[in-house]
Amino acid sequence: MSSVDMRVRIGALELRNPVMTASGTFGSGKEYADFFDLARLGAVVTKGVSLEPWPGNPGQRIVETPSGMLNSIGLQNPGVEAFCDNDLTWLARHDVPVIVNVVGHRADEYAAVAERLEQESGVHALEVNISCPNVDAGGMAFGTTCPAAAEVVRSVRAVSTKTLIVKLSPNVTDVTEVARAVEAEGADAVSLINTLLGMVIDTRTFAPVLARGVGGLSGPAVRPVAVRMVWQVSQAVSVPVIGMGGITSAEDAAEFLLAGASGVAVGTANFMDPTTTVGVVDGLERFCQERGIEKVTDLVGAAWKR
Amino acid sequence: MCGHGPTPAIEPVVVVSNERVATGVCRVVLDAPRTAATVEPGQFVHVRIARSADFILRRPFSVHRARGERLEIIYQVVGRGTRVLEDARPGDVMDVLGPLGHGWTVPEGTTRALVVAGGLGAAPMGMLVERLAEADVQITLAQGAPSAGRLLARELFDSLCRRSVVATDDGSAGTCGFVTVLSAELLQRERPDVAYVCGPEPMQRIVAGQCAEAGVACQVSLERLMACGVGACLSCVVATRHGQKRACVDGPVFDAADVVWDSDEDPEAER
Ligand SMILES: Cc1cc2nc3c(=O)[nH]c(=O)nc-3n(C[C@H](O)[C@H](O)[C@H](O)COP(=O)(O)OP(=O)(O)OC[C@H]3O[C@@H](n4cnc5c(N)ncnc54)[C@H](O)[C@@H]3O)c2cc1C
Ligand SMILES: Cc1cc2nc3c(=O)[nH]c(=O)nc-3n(C[C@H](O)[C@H](O)[C@H](O)COP(=O)(O)O)c2cc1C
Ligand code: FES
Repeated sequence: MSSVDMRVRIGALELRNPVMTASGTFGSGKEYADFFDLARLGAVVTKGVSLEPWPGNPGQRIVETPSGMLNSIGLQNPGVEAFCDNDLTWLARHDVPVIVNVVGHRADEYAAVAERLEQESGVHALEVNISCPNVDAGGMAFGTTCPAAAEVVRSVRAVSTKTLIVKLSPNVTDVTEVARAVEAEGADAVSLINTLLGMVIDTRTFAPVLARGVGGLSGPAVRPVAVRMVWQVSQAVSVPVIGMGGITSAEDAAEFLLAGASGVAVGTANFMDPTTTVGVVDGLERFCQERGIEKVTDLVGAAWKR
Repeated sequence: MCGHGPTPAIEPVVVVSNERVATGVCRVVLDAPRTAATVEPGQFVHVRIARSADFILRRPFSVHRARGERLEIIYQVVGRGTRVLEDARPGDVMDVLGPLGHGWTVPEGTTRALVVAGGLGAAPMGMLVERLAEADVQITLAQGAPSAGRLLARELFDSLCRRSVVATDDGSAGTCGFVTVLSAELLQRERPDVAYVCGPEPMQRIVAGQCAEAGVACQVSLERLMACGVGACLSCVVATRHGQKRACVDGPVFDAADVVWDSDEDPEAER
């Protein structure tokens, strides 16, 4: 069978295939390099990185839910300086594009992180996370109103020449409004979905299970919601969309591409099987071959016309 | 960073046997040549019990013993996953991710060790006592359980330890009371070079305190909820004097002197 052209474009960035890691589920890749060659991936998306170190939330931080999980990690990270010294230095030895997930409590903090990363040639794109449900100030608050989202993107765009991906929150009434707002401020792409706000209560103790009460829902349980939002956003904006939410297999990934995503990311599924991402890469190529599809980009938005 | 262990891998495994060994506790033996050959005492495996969308997370279990190509796990039936595991039959296939974590270490020059196990804390002590016995370390082991029917691996411990004593909450075997009564006395009387502790966290904390007072080096094995098991997700953090550590790669075994036990010391955790 002839080989499939798996390359995709996200802004100025060309990826060898559309499969990335979802932020926060893959560390900076080091922990998974024992299992496969990271160069097999379209890109590594790192965990959220802030200006100063963030300690994250108290435990209990996770709980398994029907076909999913809630997490309340709270963006624990060592801060951008330590991130550059350790994670980026390590990643530079691997032939894979690096997308850094950026977080902050205020717009100027996001900009300061972006400014620091501007000097790093090993960073290929930024994913501006305006959608984390697990922090009190900043995080999701920015992703749920258009003016706040626009402000963060504007301040980052002002200091960064890198490809700018903005990660959207599903915890809104109309996801296309925020998507349009960040596109207008110069976002090169949008990614979605971040986790859905959720909660589990222990019926023995009558108390919420997570220390912080609420957490972010991910895994196969959220996939139909994510596919629907990718479908809506990809038709509302002209920049590429990176789709994620519950992808465990090549078929799941294909569903996102058909809905209009140009790239996909695998998150929670890495926990069950550390090799899920490469399985999706190989499976997606087979998926195309079996159907006589020559370029993976031919799948993008193919469901719109049906 | 994986302690002294080799790199982890996913290994398909076959159930050899699965039987009840104490009230509410079973032992499953798995045919797992790669993991059995490489696992170190105190390390654990992350088990994919069922291939169903309903199990999003693996389940972490200490390796009790590794013999030839086989792994033994002792587990308590507590919830959804362990109930499914209890029904596993010889010939059933599952997979393990492992070996994982940083296990027990035997400090240079150790001649006498105290092992303190509470409840399922006896599970990670199997390989440890075997390793200590091989190194001609004199072992005293104190095990605590709610009642006689809940004591674990007594034959193994009795055969390899110079002394093996038990305490039960209801007095149905050994001393009536908590295992911490035994550990206090044994630390004073025997002056071991090192103490190894696993069990409910409050019990580990008490024994760690007793060791600090007695000036005895102490290692504890801590349990946290785990998603990835390989250090990537930060689900499993433990507060230590050197910052937050991950139980799945920096632990589960920690030097007790490093552990900050009061997790409520820092209520404003977000900032
Ligand atoms: C490093 C390590 C070693 C362990 N070794 C053993 C052992 O040798 N024998 C044994 O019986 N148990 C051991 N445990 C605890 C064991 O992992 C849990 O009892 C088991 O995961 C419960 O699964 P469940 O589906 O039956 O329970 P459920 O309560 O239905 O599980 C729901 C979720 O919570 C997690 N969970 C529940 N209880 C615990 C717990 N105490 N610790 C960590 N995660 C938990 C499960 O993994 C699962 O993700 C160990 C835990 C860790 C972290
Ligand atoms: C444990 C965990 C940590 C996460 N951390 C981040 C993060 O730091 N930044 C971010 O933008 N998204 C984070 N996410 C969200 C994921 O990147 C992803 O958007 C979401 O989980 C949906 O994909 P999935 O169902 O494949 O996991 C995290 C998710 C999980 C489960
Ligand atoms: S379980 Fe993921 S970091 Fe420990």
